[in-house]
Amino acid sequence: MKKSIFRVLSVLIAVVMFAGALAACKPAEVDPAEVAAALPREETLYYAGLQWGSVVGWNPYSSNNNNALAVAQGANARIVMFETPYMYNMIDGKQYPLLADGDYTWNDAMTELTFTLKDAAKWSDGTKVTAEDVAYTFDTHIKYETSTGVGVADYVEDVVAVDEKTVTVKAKLNDAGQAVNPLVVSAYVSDNYVIQKAWTETLEERVAGDAEAFKADPGDDAIGSGPYMPFYDDDTKVVLIRNDKYWGKDKSMWGMLPAPKYLAHTIYADNNAGFLALKAGEVDISQQFNSNVQDLWLVDNLPISTYLDDAPYGLTASLPTAYFNLKSFGLDNVAVRKAIAMAVDYDTIIANAMTNQSPTFNQVPRSVMNPTDGEQALYDHAAVADLQWAGNDVEGANKLLDDAGIVDTDGDGYRDIDGTKLSYNAVCPNGWSDWQAAIEIVAAAGEKIGIEITTYFPEWSVYQTVFTDGNQEEYDIFMVWSNGAGPTNPWGRVRQLMSSDFAGTTGNWNGNWGGYVNPRIDEIIAEIPQTTDQAKLVELYTEATEIYLTDVPSFTLMYRPDQFYTVNESVWTDFPAATDGRNIPPMNLADGYGVAGLYYLTLVGD
Amino acid sequence: MKGYRKYFGAKLIWFGVTLVAAFMLNFILPRLMPGDPVAVITQRVTQGMTSQTGVQKVYEEYANLFGTTKPMHEQFILYMGNMLKGDLGTSFSQYPRPVSDIIRSSVWWTVSLQFPAIIVGWLLGNLLGALAAYLKKGWDKVLMPVSIFVSNLPAFGSAIILLVIFGVQLSLLPTSGGYGFDLIPNFSFRFIWSVFVHYQLPFWSIVLISIGGQAIGMRSMAIYELNADYVKYARFLGIKDRKIIGYVFRNAMLPQITGLALSIGTMVGGALVAETIFSYPGLGSTIFSAVMGQDYPLISATTLIITLMVLFATFAIEILYGFIDPRIKAAQTEQ
Repeated sequence: MKKSIFRVLSVLIAVVMFAGALAACKPAEVDPAEVAAALPREETLYYAGLQWGSVVGWNPYSSNNNNALAVAQGANARIVMFETPYMYNMIDGKQYPLLADGDYTWNDAMTELTFTLKDAAKWSDGTKVTAEDVAYTFDTHIKYETSTGVGVADYVEDVVAVDEKTVTVKAKLNDAGQAVNPLVVSAYVSDNYVIQKAWTETLEERVAGDAEAFKADPGDDAIGSGPYMPFYDDDTKVVLIRNDKYWGKDKSMWGMLPAPKYLAHTIYADNNAGFLALKAGEVDISQQFNSNVQDLWLVDNLPISTYLDDAPYGLTASLPTAYFNLKSFGLDNVAVRKAIAMAVDYDTIIANAMTNQSPTFNQVPRSVMNPTDGEQALYDHAAVADLQWAGNDVEGANKLLDDAGIVDTDGDGYRDIDGTKLSYNAVCPNGWSDWQAAIEIVAAAGEKIGIEITTYFPEWSVYQTVFTDGNQEEYDIFMVWSNGAGPTNPWGRVRQLMSSDFAGTTGNWNGNWGGYVNPRIDEIIAEIPQTTDQAKLVELYTEATEIYLTDVPSFTLMYRPDQFYTVNESVWTDFPAATDGRNIPPMNLADGYGVAGLYYLTLVGD
Repeated sequence: MKGYRKYFGAKLIWFGVTLVAAFMLNFILPRLMPGDPVAVITQRVTQGMTSQTGVQKVYEEYANLFGTTKPMHEQFILYMGNMLKGDLGTSFSQYPRPVSDIIRSSVWWTVSLQFPAIIVGWLLGNLLGALAAYLKKGWDKVLMPVSIFVSNLPAFGSAIILLVIFGVQLSLLPTSGGYGFDLIPNFSFRFIWSVFVHYQLPFWSIVLISIGGQAIGMRSMAIYELNADYVKYARFLGIKDRKIIGYVFRNAMLPQITGLALSIGTMVGGALVAETIFSYPGLGSTIFSAVMGQDYPLISATTLIITLMVLFATFAIEILYGFIDPRIKAAQTEQ
């Protein structure tokens, strides 16, 4: 009796195990003859660190695809399935033609931008990419109020198909008849995909014109013009397959197909799992922060490398910044703000929190610019040298406070203003370990200069509802990321750091979270996009930097890459590197001009 | 029979009351969390957006879409209505994916990992516990400390130890995923073997920690039973040892069965730790990300399923007990 129970149970267990696991896997929805039981390792490029959680859809009009490998528009748009007219290169800050043929031109008034499309450009169904597709894409974004549509509606009036191949992007004009913001207009052509008109109409028909359904449609049948198409996805991975008829093999573009036949991304639960897979050679490109990345080749002797051979190992582009809440008692005093910022030991933050994957503030002195050559050339370094601080200057900070008359009057070890102790919290989201380490060091700096700073790490879901409220009084010093590299930066970053437009607003995802107000900086922010003269531009950016470093409404704690980039060369090699002279940014071989890297990859041993 | 009907009826009423209470809590509790799920989505969608009015528009759109601006009671009525139609709603964090679709795709991974692991852990644990009680001496001296040690290992501890030893150091088993990183699901030996191999570490990490607890429980119960009067009497009558062990095992088993039922009831809650550490797909990590992303519909749906499973399991056990153990039925009907 008992034996038979055991027998039944063991059969049951075995059945549940396999039936369950197999039922959970979705069979590949492609021609069965084409289904590879396995993705050949030497034909597949594996990613980690882009895709978290299952893919939701393939609809380029939706902002909820959670499809990191295929759909990501923005400053460095991911262009493996859908393509933009131009590709942004963060190294030199230039836009290179992709679907477009040659550079775009502005009219004299800088209100209209015109470009033509390449003759060879085709959709994956073989039809031509036309100016009408570009125009219809814009109209559709506006009509259905997609996030792209509402994002550009204030700046782009219309996109017009002049003839079959010529497109004009018309800027929205201000009262003076100037473009509201020519920078955003020029960014439009490298930020946003061109989507096929025929497919868009199919989608419109399917949802009967309902805007909500239009944006929620998973778009499984979406047609792109890029070199890859959807192949397979489930809860554990997503795979794209190369379109061997890709138009880009024409001489007017790349002249060949990208090397990998498949792009695959295993969905890992966390960074650690992705890190183990990178070490095991199951990942070729890792867009993850791997601490002490150099140990992978120095200690573990693995064929792993980064964009730069030595620290900071990557190309940093964004400026994680600590904002001062100017409503907090004492933080409205610039001496207090600057003293805290001066006393922070940035070298320790960079060594510990970033494991040296950021240049120090001695190497790249602080300003409103990221460390790329393009941005660094935009301000007069000598003019602001006296204002820059590299940190850990406890003596200077103490002197600054003493001179301002902010001293400890009651002998409790902390400085006071009008008898009130200077006491703050320093906040960042829980679990963001590198930020948490940085915030701890900010708190330690306070202790050295007689200002009480305690750390506080709420969950992200809570954190982001508080700091985006311009009237919040809960957080005194809090960390937020900054704009990275893109056609609208560094203008966008200056605006993000200081624009009065955002001060005191609620639901503020745009910037100036501390509530800083300065009419002069607003004038500069308004003037920069209209300025084409390089010398004038440098003058404006230098002044913006001066104001930023003088008033210290916030302070940058480290530099950080736009995308982390660590490659394992056990299968593929010739990944973009700083020394290869190809000018390809370390952007996952997928984003902006980074996609060019796909055409240089070779197999190890070939 | 009348007494039994009364017992059954009372149980059913309590079952209903608990269900209603749990249903309401499932709705209310996630919404009491601090934070705003719409803001989380807005942040994700509007990254890099220059236009301030654009950001506000996106926020308003999602707030309307998810109905988070409506008063709580209105949301509850909507939720009730949808539930009655069998509609679990649309996920916030994975919008526009329906909650039912998310659960459908991950629940099988969880069930096929948890169910066999629970059963195997339970069987092995009870067997070892009974052996320890019966054999005593050396066996017991080794088994008890080991069981106590293993059962007190935190789940993530045992999972990480297994991962480091078998996955990283010995490279015997894969460290992550439900099947080979280079495979596409298909009906082939290679794929099935890959599923089997990837199954091992998460499976044993769950089994290992459940064995200890079961063994300790079973051992105490068996020792207690071995010293019971009926065993002494049976021995006195000269009944064979094997027969006596059979009686003892059956009696010692009762509380263990309750434990088993509860484990099965909660199993869809997922093996969060095993799933996270081994990047194994399943409901555990789905619930975790739902909580982190304040995905109310997904949290409510998954907790509702767990509630239903637990209620059903306990209900079934109570009813079964009535049949198996007349003492319980008698005690219940006397009240």
